[in-house]
Amino acid sequence: MTRTGPNGPGRSGARPRVRVLPDHVANQIAAGEVVERPASVVKELVENALDAGAQAIRVLLEQGGKGRIRVADDGCGMMRQDVLASLDRHATSKIRDAKDLQEIRTLGFRGEALPSIAAVSRIVVETAVEGGDAGTRVRALAGRIQSVEDAARRRGTTVDVRNLFLNTPVRARFLRNVALETRAVAEVLHALALAHLDVRFVFETNGRFHLDLLAGRRLEERVGEIWEDASLIPVSAREGGMRLDGAVQRPDNARSGFRRAQLFVNGRPFRDGRILAAGDRGYRTTVPEGVRGWLFLFLTVPPDQVDVNVHPGKAEVRFRDSAGVEDFVEASVRKALEGVDSAATWGKPPPVQMVRERPPDGDGDGDGRNAPAAADRSQIRLFRTPDDAQEAHDATPADHAADAFSPQAPRPALLQVHNSFILAETRDGVIIIDQHAAHERILYERITARFEAGGGEGQRLLFPFTVRLTSAELDVVRSASELLAKTGFDVEPFGAHALLVQAVPSPHPHFDAERCIREMLRELAEGSDLMRAARNQNERVAMSYACKGAIKAGQKLSEEEMQDLFDQLFATDLPYHDVHGRPTVVRLGLDELRRKFRRS
Amino acid sequence: MNFTITRENLVKGLSAVSASIPAKTSLPVLSNVLLEADDGELWLTGTDLDLTVRIKVPAEVKESGTITAPGKKLQELARELPEHPVTISATGHQLEVQCGWSHFKLNGLPKEEFPSLPEVEFEDAWQITGKALAELVRRTTFAVSTEESRPILNGVLWELKRENMVMVATNGHRLARVSVVADPPTEASESLIVSPAALQQAQGLFGESSELAVAKSGNHLGFRSEDAEVYTRLIEGKYPNYEQVIPKDNDKVATIDQQMMVAAVRRMAVVASDPPHRTRLAFEPNRLRLDVTTPDLGEAADEVEMDYDNAAEQIGFNANYLLEVVGNMPKGEVRFSFKTAERATVIEPADKSVDYLCLIMPLRLE
Repeated sequence: MTRTGPNGPGRSGARPRVRVLPDHVANQIAAGEVVERPASVVKELVENALDAGAQAIRVLLEQGGKGRIRVADDGCGMMRQDVLASLDRHATSKIRDAKDLQEIRTLGFRGEALPSIAAVSRIVVETAVEGGDAGTRVRALAGRIQSVEDAARRRGTTVDVRNLFLNTPVRARFLRNVALETRAVAEVLHALALAHLDVRFVFETNGRFHLDLLAGRRLEERVGEIWEDASLIPVSAREGGMRLDGAVQRPDNARSGFRRAQLFVNGRPFRDGRILAAGDRGYRTTVPEGVRGWLFLFLTVPPDQVDVNVHPGKAEVRFRDSAGVEDFVEASVRKALEGVDSAATWGKPPPVQMVRERPPDGDGDGDGRNAPAAADRSQIRLFRTPDDAQEAHDATPADHAADAFSPQAPRPALLQVHNSFILAETRDGVIIIDQHAAHERILYERITARFEAGGGEGQRLLFPFTVRLTSAELDVVRSASELLAKTGFDVEPFGAHALLVQAVPSPHPHFDAERCIREMLRELAEGSDLMRAARNQNERVAMSYACKGAIKAGQKLSEEEMQDLFDQLFATDLPYHDVHGRPTVVRLGLDELRRKFRRS
Repeated sequence: MNFTITRENLVKGLSAVSASIPAKTSLPVLSNVLLEADDGELWLTGTDLDLTVRIKVPAEVKESGTITAPGKKLQELARELPEHPVTISATGHQLEVQCGWSHFKLNGLPKEEFPSLPEVEFEDAWQITGKALAELVRRTTFAVSTEESRPILNGVLWELKRENMVMVATNGHRLARVSVVADPPTEASESLIVSPAALQQAQGLFGESSELAVAKSGNHLGFRSEDAEVYTRLIEGKYPNYEQVIPKDNDKVATIDQQMMVAAVRRMAVVASDPPHRTRLAFEPNRLRLDVTTPDLGEAADEVEMDYDNAAEQIGFNANYLLEVVGNMPKGEVRFSFKTAERATVIEPADKSVDYLCLIMPLRLE
């Protein structure tokens, strides 16, 4: 393999962009073949196209890529000597020296894509630059340039690869069937398409269109075009030098079983089970055990915080502070679930403000051009204010409570139905609150705060009572008496099989302390789905207390009690989710109502 | 049936019974009032089966008879009638109302469908004035439990003793007990558990000057005056032994002005908005300090002068309980007595002008 490319004289006065890497740089780069199957060819070629600033990329596949792979773009194109250099291994326009490797911000950087592909196929590269004299067509067979000629074409590059692995029959034999190879290519394209919303992607196989993704779409729209409408809500957070954008699925729409997920770091797709798990942790208590939401997360970290060069396919990366990144992802996903967008809806959800800024047009090596844009979520206030013009003025608190309900805004009229649900008018429809689920959330957050801050608020009883317990329940009391005290229960063993209760919590006027402590101890001793979802004893006690202590369905509430419940719910961090992963609130949008009544 | 009545008396009678007419019922006749005209008297009756209210209004009865008619409709209609004598007659199950030129026919239901009245024997009744009943009811009903698992505590204990009548209500966190002198002294003593709603109904219906007979038969309690009757189903069960929990050895005593205390607690309650509405009371020589901290909301503090010369003590209370209790105390000085921050605090009128005692169990302070 040659490492010095043909250094032809510069043409048209433009400075050649492609240089040949010095050997020591080439050696630093992880070894390994880039080309193992059609999907990797497509990945390399499409990344090159994106680096060339393409606005539209067309991918054509025949026989799953075994017959033909063609990637055409409208990017900046290459000059003739660049084309020739680029067919040579380690010729790249992106890296000049070893220290640049620390700051890689473009997608393809190894300078090995084209020559590696060319080495194992029959390849035709057609390219033209803007304002160049003429385009160039280069044909190569098994890595040897066969012909170089002028070609009339518009700006951009088309790489046409046939007879992949023509000279490596062993590799060719390892290819899977057409359907599987096609699917692998599609997966590569999906990831790239999600990261480049401003680029049009066309994917065609054997003359049939698989995908035609128009440019300038929002992430949720692109996800909807690729798969299905997943009911996504935006994620946007920053901390230190890190940023996380993207979208996650509304908890109410999440299902158990298969889910879609894609991670990106600095615009590059990667796989990392631990970061996905961190994202799933962000969903805790908002979805039932075993259910996972779709995640499309774009991490932006300073380039020196991530090593993308650990895997030849660049599918895995290594973070300098992986625990910090995981915590950040968990917190950011959780924060996205705090807002009204994460509430369950009836019918089509009211539109979400998911604005992603268009990445600036880069020239191929500008920094940040692949950085995911900030999801600028405008503050959506759920409830009406008497004067909407006042809104900008009093929307001071930037936290989620403001986007749902601000204490300055008047509380809507509340109507209890079937002694179980509370209806309220909102800016864009109505919400229905499940009184039990809502109160669970309130109690859960109050009790976890108390566990952290210490201190309980037991109401001492005029008439202490005793509860008979099983020995398993007594064991729970022994191991958790301090936590029980923090919830407000002052208990002590009373004989061998009973418990004396001297003080109890007092979370609402209809609270049945005796039933609550009985049910809690039974649940803690015998376990339940909720208990299995908890991470530790604190959570088990807090969840069990929230669930057993909350206002029950069927409880008639006074106007004042409803108002308290409402105010307290919207003062919590996750007002739209109880602790079992069920919704506390269901939104019924005005649009949906109009649709149902057939009013346009 | 045929009688003539003034519009005013008709409205008055109907509004008195309307409170006992259920808004929603599976038994249609319960939304009707029973009209009984006999012997120059008109009796109106409404019931929801648990509570029955009867009232007598003056009427000129030409022909006696009994019928039921839709209560709310008749009440609405009576309000709209012109200022003329109203003549009401019945044909079959239909009620005819004639007032000036206005004429109505309302469909009623046969009187046989109306539930029969609880049979309460007033022969050995207790006697009580409307004023004494009001005193008992107003000072206790606020303290009943709102939690439904122990129906006993949803009721008010009424102890009828030889010398006095005592009413007690508690939800297990705080308790109110008031006593009035029995006049004349009662013959039989009895302990009853009565629904607070029925007591409030009765208290509202009988004027302070009225003389009442109160009697129990089976599981019903009846109140009767000259022109009104209230019947209620008693709550069955054994009331907890409240006397045992009233501390006898509370040795730290503070007295404070009732109205100043109410005002200060009211201010604290604004900030103590989350259950259990914890407010800290710091008893210091001649000074009561109150303070509240609510996470995410803020803090409040206040000071009130008081007479206190024992060792300083801090006790946590549910601000709402404190407000209800002190707010129900008669104006003037209120006496707080306690022993430790873990035990019940007793609150009473300092001058004993009323035989009234409340106690509140503290919240844990940490």
